[in-house]
Amino acid sequence: MHPLLAGRRRIVLYLGVWAGIGVVLGALLVLAAPRPVSDAAIFVGPLTLIYAFACLSAWWVCRSHPLGSAQPFRLGGVLAGAALQTSAVWTVVAAGWAALLRTRGIGAESGRMTRDLALVFVAGVVLYAQSLAAHYMVLAFESARAAERRLLESQVAAREAELKALRAQLNPHFLFNSLNSISALVGSDPESARRMCQLLGDFLRSSLALGARARVPLGEELALAERYLAIERVRFGPRLTVERASEPAVERCLVPPLLVQPLVENAVKHGVAGRVEGGTVRIAARRRGGYVEVTVENPFDPEAPVRGGAGLGLDNVRRRLETLDPQSAGLDISRDEDRFRVTLRLPVLQEDRGEA
Amino acid sequence: MKPERGALRVVVVDDEAPARALLREYLAAHDDLDVVGECENGFEAVRAIAEKAPDLVLLDVQMPKLDGFEVLELLDRSPAVIFVTAFDEYALRAFEIHAVDYVLKPVGRDRLDEALERARERLRAASPPPRPAALAASARPAGQYLTRVLVKDGPNVHVIPIARIDRLESQDDYVAIHSEGKAYLKNQPLAELADALDPARFVRIHRSHVLNVDRLARLELQAKDTRVAVMKDGTVLPVSRTGYVRLRELL
Repeated sequence: MHPLLAGRRRIVLYLGVWAGIGVVLGALLVLAAPRPVSDAAIFVGPLTLIYAFACLSAWWVCRSHPLGSAQPFRLGGVLAGAALQTSAVWTVVAAGWAALLRTRGIGAESGRMTRDLALVFVAGVVLYAQSLAAHYMVLAFESARAAERRLLESQVAAREAELKALRAQLNPHFLFNSLNSISALVGSDPESARRMCQLLGDFLRSSLALGARARVPLGEELALAERYLAIERVRFGPRLTVERASEPAVERCLVPPLLVQPLVENAVKHGVAGRVEGGTVRIAARRRGGYVEVTVENPFDPEAPVRGGAGLGLDNVRRRLETLDPQSAGLDISRDEDRFRVTLRLPVLQEDRGEA
Repeated sequence: MKPERGALRVVVVDDEAPARALLREYLAAHDDLDVVGECENGFEAVRAIAEKAPDLVLLDVQMPKLDGFEVLELLDRSPAVIFVTAFDEYALRAFEIHAVDYVLKPVGRDRLDEALERARERLRAASPPPRPAALAASARPAGQYLTRVLVKDGPNVHVIPIARIDRLESQDDYVAIHSEGKAYLKNQPLAELADALDPARFVRIHRSHVLNVDRLARLELQAKDTRVAVMKDGTVLPVSRTGYVRLRELL
């Protein structure tokens, strides 16, 4: 549907412009060959109205041939062809209309008619060309607006996802269980209880600090995940072990915050915690060209009872990745019989290039 | 400290050592309670409760192997139960199966003492407590179907994922669960178990038969209005008239 036909005010405005064009066209005819103004008006009026609608077809021409979609001269050929064709059809209609008027005694000798039609044809080409230009402008305007809206939408989505990540970080069950552990340690091992309080404090503080920034060094992300694991180790004891492998260089890469720890939390909650014998969470980070790859691997019991909230952490991570560049951000999940592996790809902004 | 005679026997079930330590510490202050067992997972809990015959169980919900509700489902006895968990979303289910109390972590001493007092009252009461096992089997989260069926076999527990079940057959008070060439007997009415299964997958084709539609090979007309279902393993099952209607609706 043509955008002009969407509103009555637009149509009225458009026809107003064409009324002006009709007046000019009539005047040109009178100037080219003197005749009564009424004759010129009755000839030009209906023709202008028809052409006003014919020129709307430029919309589809412009849409199917966006600027820059083909070589300039080829595009020029297409557009010129459209203008010539439309104008030719219009001129034929004009010839018919003139002939009809002549049978009613309006209009005059045939010599003048050829000139009139030549004028109509030239005017038709010019008007169509202008219509094309105007439509290209409308299209450019609309696509600029759409791009702006898309940008805004993705910014809003990104902010929302970051907030959610932060909220998930303050996951109450994790806090409740940790507080319960502290409460137990206060009686039996006060020194450990103090250490646990400090770990929990550090974890919460760095979660808030990282969540407030757009880009953080990967090393800080990994450190946050380790703090989390240190707290969980108090709860699960020897059942939970951790292995970490990352090159120092990769830890300096800047990445979006709070994407690694949810994966580690998942690995504990839905993996190691569900196994009687526990298991090892393996975290590995490496540089791959323009992105870093973080792998979190854990064993799981395929027969373990289903835990509430399964996959919520992963969903949130995935949604946040969708707001980033799809070329360099992504999440792959693979599982075999009793191992679960999540591979996170994150875009890199090198530290020396500063904050994005 | 020697527990006094007639002390209540208590089993503590939690997969986290600090959580067990905390409960043990709180329970030690009560002379009339005797902790006879501590378990780290659901399987251990089922076994310990069968062997130690406790009067009271302090039970976590999320654990390896079996969750707290599944443990209760498998019990032949009915001790009083106090749930101790960090999750408040199971409270409704817990009270549906007549748990004595539902205590949230972090656990406070006063709150646990209150729950223990309730348990004493419940155990003193002349009326026998309702059997949690029977209730636990039917109390599942609203709008969710079973993902696995648990069958107790002496001290062992079989965990049968739903996808591996071929069919169910009613046998008096039991239901026989046929899975991969084996049959497991579970002490539960067929209708109750069938209700807990996904109706898009399991159809009651007869008063005493429920089948997994994935395992159905074909339907055969035996006589006018009498049909039988032939399973992929060759088993032939009777199909009642209403069973046929249900089956046709699904296929």
